[in-house]
Amino acid sequence: MNRLGAHWRYAGLGALIVVCLGLLVVAAANIIRIERQMQISATQNMTWIFGQTQIEALSLSSALSSDASSSEVLLRYDLLVSRLNLLRDGPQWRFLSEAGLADGLMGWRDGLLRLDPAYGGDPAALKAHVTALSTALRQKASQVMSREWQVQSERLDRLRKLHLLALVAIMGALISGAALAVLLVDRERRLMRARVDRLRAERLQRDLNRERAASEGYRRFADLIAHQVRTPLAVIDSAMHRLTRSGKPPTPEVIRAKADVSRQAVARLIRLTDTALLMARVDRGAVAPELACHDLDRIAATAIEDLQAGRRVTLRSGNRPVTAICDPVLTSEILANLLGNALLYSPPDSEIDVRPLFSGDMAMCDVCDQGSGMTPEELACAFDNFARGARHRDLPGSGLGLPLARHLARLQGGDLTLKPREGGGLIARLSLPGKVVT
Amino acid sequence: MTVMKRLLFGTVMLALSASGAAAEEVLLTLTGAVTGGQVELTQTDLDALEWHEIATSTTVTDGQPVFRGVLMRDILDRAQARGDTVTARALNDYVIDIPMDDFHEFDVIAALYMDGIALTPRDKGPVWIVYPRDDHSVLADIRYDMRWVWQLSALHVQ
Repeated sequence: MNRLGAHWRYAGLGALIVVCLGLLVVAAANIIRIERQMQISATQNMTWIFGQTQIEALSLSSALSSDASSSEVLLRYDLLVSRLNLLRDGPQWRFLSEAGLADGLMGWRDGLLRLDPAYGGDPAALKAHVTALSTALRQKASQVMSREWQVQSERLDRLRKLHLLALVAIMGALISGAALAVLLVDRERRLMRARVDRLRAERLQRDLNRERAASEGYRRFADLIAHQVRTPLAVIDSAMHRLTRSGKPPTPEVIRAKADVSRQAVARLIRLTDTALLMARVDRGAVAPELACHDLDRIAATAIEDLQAGRRVTLRSGNRPVTAICDPVLTSEILANLLGNALLYSPPDSEIDVRPLFSGDMAMCDVCDQGSGMTPEELACAFDNFARGARHRDLPGSGLGLPLARHLARLQGGDLTLKPREGGGLIARLSLPGKVVT
Repeated sequence: MTVMKRLLFGTVMLALSASGAAAEEVLLTLTGAVTGGQVELTQTDLDALEWHEIATSTTVTDGQPVFRGVLMRDILDRAQARGDTVTARALNDYVIDIPMDDFHEFDVIAALYMDGIALTPRDKGPVWIVYPRDDHSVLADIRYDMRWVWQLSALHVQ
C-alpha cells in the first residue's frame, strides 16, 4: 500500500470514529433532554385550577344566597380571592395570557375586592358580581381545557421529535460503527495475512538454507570420495599392478612391501567407513551411551597404546585420579580421533601431550599438539560435516572426525572444544561430567 | 338580608381579621393518633416552636421565594403524633394523604410567611406545606407537588 493510500485510510477511519462518537453524543444529549422534559408539572394542571376557581365562585354565590354564617361567607370569599390570586401568579398568568384568556380577569378580581365583606361590602352587589364572574369563568373553562391539551400535545410533539432525533442518531452511530468494525476486521485480516506470508517466507528461507547445506554436504561427500576413497584404491591398484606386471616375478620382499601398503590402504578405507557408519548411527539417534564412573587416565592410556605411535604421545596425569561419568567405548573413540588428528597435523618429531584434569565439576582431557594449529576461519567451521582445512585436502581424513567426536561428547553430557595453543599448535579439550573421588 | 344582619356581618368580619385576635385563633387542628385525639394549634403555639427558612422554587410562582415556618415533624412531635400517614385537609376541602416518612426524610415546613409577608387565606395561607424542592431532585415531581397543601387547616394522623 502506498503512503498516500495509507494516509487516506487513516483519515477515513478517523472520520468514521468522529461521526460515530458525534452521533452518540447527539443521541445522549437528546435522551437527556427527553428525560428532563418527562415531568408533569402542577402548573400544567390549569384545567383543575380554573375549575377550582369556578367552584369557589359558585360556593360563594351559594353561601350568599342561603343563610350561611358570616364566617362561612368570609371563608368562601377568601377562597375565591385566593384562587384569583393564584391565576395572577407567574406561570398561571403566562398560560392565560398566551391563551388570550387573561383579559378582564383582573378586572373581575378588582371588582370583587371592592365588595370585600370584611369591610362592609354590599352582599347583594357581591352576589351579582360573583354570579356574573362564574358565568364568565364557565365560558373560559372550555378554552382553558383546549389550550391545555394543545400545550400538552405540543410538548408531546417536541418529545417525539427529540426521540426521533435520538433514534436517527443512534441508527447513524450503529451504521458508522458497523462500517468501522468491518474496516477494522478487514485490517486485522490483512495484518494476519501479512504475518502468515512473512512466516511462510521465513520457513521457505530456512528450508532453502537446509537444502543448501545438504547439497553442500553432498558436494563435500563427493569430494571425500574423490580424495579419500580414490587415493587408497589407487595405492592398492598400483601395488596389484606391480605384482602382476609381466616380466620378472616380484621378490618376496617386494610382495610383502606391496601387501603392507595395500593393507594400510584397506585399513584407511575401513576407518573411513567405520567413521561414516558411526556418524550415521549418531545422526539417527541409534547410539545410546552406557554411562558409568570411569578413570579418564586409564581410558586415555589405552587409547594411546592402541595408536602404537611410539614415544611421540605423552600422558601427563595429575596427582589425583580424574573420574568421569562416561561411556568408555565412546570416550576412547573420541580420544583416538583427537590423537589421530594431532598426529596427522603436527610435524613427525613434535610431541603430543594428553592431560586429564578437573575443572570445576567437569572432568577434562586436553590433547595438545605443536602443529600449525588452525586459523580462526578454520576453527569456526571445524565441526561442520565434511569440513576439511584447505591446506590439508590431500591428507587422509573424512571431515567427519571432529563433528562425530563432538556428537559423541555431547551424547555423554559433555562437549568438545578447540583453541589455539600458546606457542603454536592446537588444544582439543574433551569435557565430561566429572566425579570427584574422595 | 336585613340592614341589621349586614351590620352584624361586617362587624364580625372586621373582628375576625383583626390581628389582635389572630394570635389566639386556631390555625391547625390535628386529629387521630395525637394527644387526646385532638390538638388545636394557635399562632402562639407555632411561635413557641423552632422556626426554619427554605428558599425554593414552586410550581405556581416564579423565582425562589423564601418560606418561613416550623418543621412539620416538630408540629407532629408536639402533638405526639403516632402513625404512618397524615391526611392533610385544606380550607377548600382539598384532601391528600402524605406518608409520615416525608417529614423525617426531608425538612418539610409548615410555612406561615413567604418572602417575609404573612400568608393569608386570600393567598395560600394561613399555612402552606412547603417541601425543599430545590435541595432534592426527587421532589421535583408531580407526586410530591400534590402534597404542597395550601390553606392547610387540619391534619389527621393514622
